[in-house]
Amino acid sequence: PADIRDAAQARVRSAPAPITDVARLCVCDLLVAQCDVNCCCDPDCSAEDFSLFTACSVPVVTGDSQLCSQKAAVYSLDVEANPPERIFKLIDQVNPSIFCIHATNYKQALYLKSPEIPTAENFDQLLDKFGGATFSAEPDSWNLDTDAQNPPEANETSRYEYGAPVQTEDAFLRLPSPVVSSWCSDANPAGFLVNQATKCIRSVSVEKCDSIQALSMLFYINSSILAVPKSSQMVNITVQSIVVQSLNGMRTLLSSSDVLRLPMVLDGLCINAVLGVNYHITHTDTGEIIEAAAAFVLGAISKETLAIEQSFEISFTQENTQPVPLSGNPGYVVGLPVRAGFQPQGYPFPAAFLTNKHSQLTILHSTSTQDCLAAQGARAPVLFGYNMISGCKLRITAAMKCQPLAQTLLDVLKGQSFPEYVASFGNSQAQDVLDWVPITQLLISEQMISHTWQSSCQIPVSLGIEVKWTKYGSLVNPQARIVNVTATITTTTLKQLPSGRERIIPVTSSVVFTDISSPAEPSYKAWPTIDIKLPFDFFYPFV
Amino acid sequence: LSSLPLQILLYVNGIYYIFYFLATLAMIIYKSQVFSYPDDLLAPDLAVLFLMAILEVPRSYLGFKGNLTEAEAPLGLSLGLTVGSVVLCVYLLLWQTYVLWADVLLNAVLLSAYGLESGLKVMAIAAFVS
Repeated sequence: PADIRDAAQARVRSAPAPITDVARLCVCDLLVAQCDVNCCCDPDCSAEDFSLFTACSVPVVTGDSQLCSQKAAVYSLDVEANPPERIFKLIDQVNPSIFCIHATNYKQALYLKSPEIPTAENFDQLLDKFGGATFSAEPDSWNLDTDAQNPPEANETSRYEYGAPVQTEDAFLRLPSPVVSSWCSDANPAGFLVNQATKCIRSVSVEKCDSIQALSMLFYINSSILAVPKSSQMVNITVQSIVVQSLNGMRTLLSSSDVLRLPMVLDGLCINAVLGVNYHITHTDTGEIIEAAAAFVLGAISKETLAIEQSFEISFTQENTQPVPLSGNPGYVVGLPVRAGFQPQGYPFPAAFLTNKHSQLTILHSTSTQDCLAAQGARAPVLFGYNMISGCKLRITAAMKCQPLAQTLLDVLKGQSFPEYVASFGNSQAQDVLDWVPITQLLISEQMISHTWQSSCQIPVSLGIEVKWTKYGSLVNPQARIVNVTATITTTTLKQLPSGRERIIPVTSSVVFTDISSPAEPSYKAWPTIDIKLPFDFFYPFV
Repeated sequence: LSSLPLQILLYVNGIYYIFYFLATLAMIIYKSQVFSYPDDLLAPDLAVLFLMAILEVPRSYLGFKGNLTEAEAPLGLSLGLTVGSVVLCVYLLLWQTYVLWADVLLNAVLLSAYGLESGLKVMAIAAFVS
């Protein structure tokens, strides 16, 4: 959260002032708010703790011993007393040497230099000075090395980096997108590894159908992509598939996608106009593009149409991998869908989970008609961190039978394939069974108070999904991890209606995300143990 | 008549100064190795020491000459140079980067010698003028 980060930054900006008072200085006080064993100067220790000590690990705390006269704090244990108690004395220690420091006009001589706290302004300079394998007290003598570091920059352009524009032989791979207004601008380059989806409006006219370049397939596939920037290796863009969309919106996948279909005027319509392009770029893990494919949606433009909406998408896949959309790496990112799946038969020796994009955790999507039965199938994915509530109205007539109605409502609330497991982390792999959290299903029935329990009709009217998540990992960069998912179905009694009457009951579904992270505690590592093993031929030639 | 105590003091002071110069130089070298002694603080200290050594030669010579020839002009000039030496000695006593206990002793002795010398020179000048 932002407030934790701000507080941490405020603490880091000013280092604590060095303590120079020997009475307050304690070298053996390592544990915060806990008593260190045999540390006589620890302020966290009480008198009972001191009575248990055997010796003082730090008997004297002094400043620089070269000074002629200085204060010293002496700690000792009085074992004669019952119970043993700690004795603390502040004495003046005198250095008898003739070369002791009587005075110094150079204040920093006696103290270690406070290190410079890195801030956004001086970070680069500090990284130059101290970022290498070695650094000297005189940074000027290393200037020669920093000059030698500049030429290796030429190596960086031999591969694509994240966000770098994908270069083609003449310019960049264009992904038309709306700039300022919704009109398409062809000057937007596609960034490497940046998955984008844009929609924009282009003005068209049927007469100039074959002369508008952006409506033709060739415009999007004629320039080949450079495999690495500034190289001569080219990758041609192949046509992966062509979908033809008719005027009423119906889409048909063409069986042969190797024929280039150019726009032409036919019967007053402009056919084969590009309505959408979907680029799929395959790359290696060293930043080299090896394959590029484009899937087209072609459509027809009628005479009255002045502008069409084109949609463009680009996605990058690493070679030999299956792209699975992650919802975070590793913790969930707020706004990305919660990943869910099923366990196929064979538990408890599991095969992999079935997770495809369609088995997300979904919630009922409210429609404008608010009719439950008409809106079957409209689902919205549950996005992590977003509490959602949706609902619809169900009109019950007297003729409706209980059991089919209950089953229909259950389908409306839960959807066609309600998952059984939810991914604990945003990048949980399907084969790690322990990374998946089972969905607990609860059933609550509202009995009417005035009626005793009778085998009346119970219909589900609400589904509440509560997702409990916790912060996991380091204090500085906590990752969101889902710990528990509970789906609660509340049912209510359906009273039999007199014939002819109808009733409208609201049906709701909600998703709530609760943060159950416990407050962070600093933890200490165990004492290191010494593990010495002699080599097996140590006692050669006696053994 | 030339002042005998002044002559003795000048002679002893000359010998003591050689010892003082070598000891202080050795201690500055020791300090630069043992303590953290940045170059921009080491330079002024060494400069003061060498300046004092350079001043000491004419100062001593003029003192000897003035006393032996019973002339007050060289003695007066020597007195002026003594003031400069006193200032540099006070610097080494108080405002050096590291003032060791040995430094304090050496400089204190030198200061007292200069003080006594100045007093005797004034008396000698008064004797020669009159």
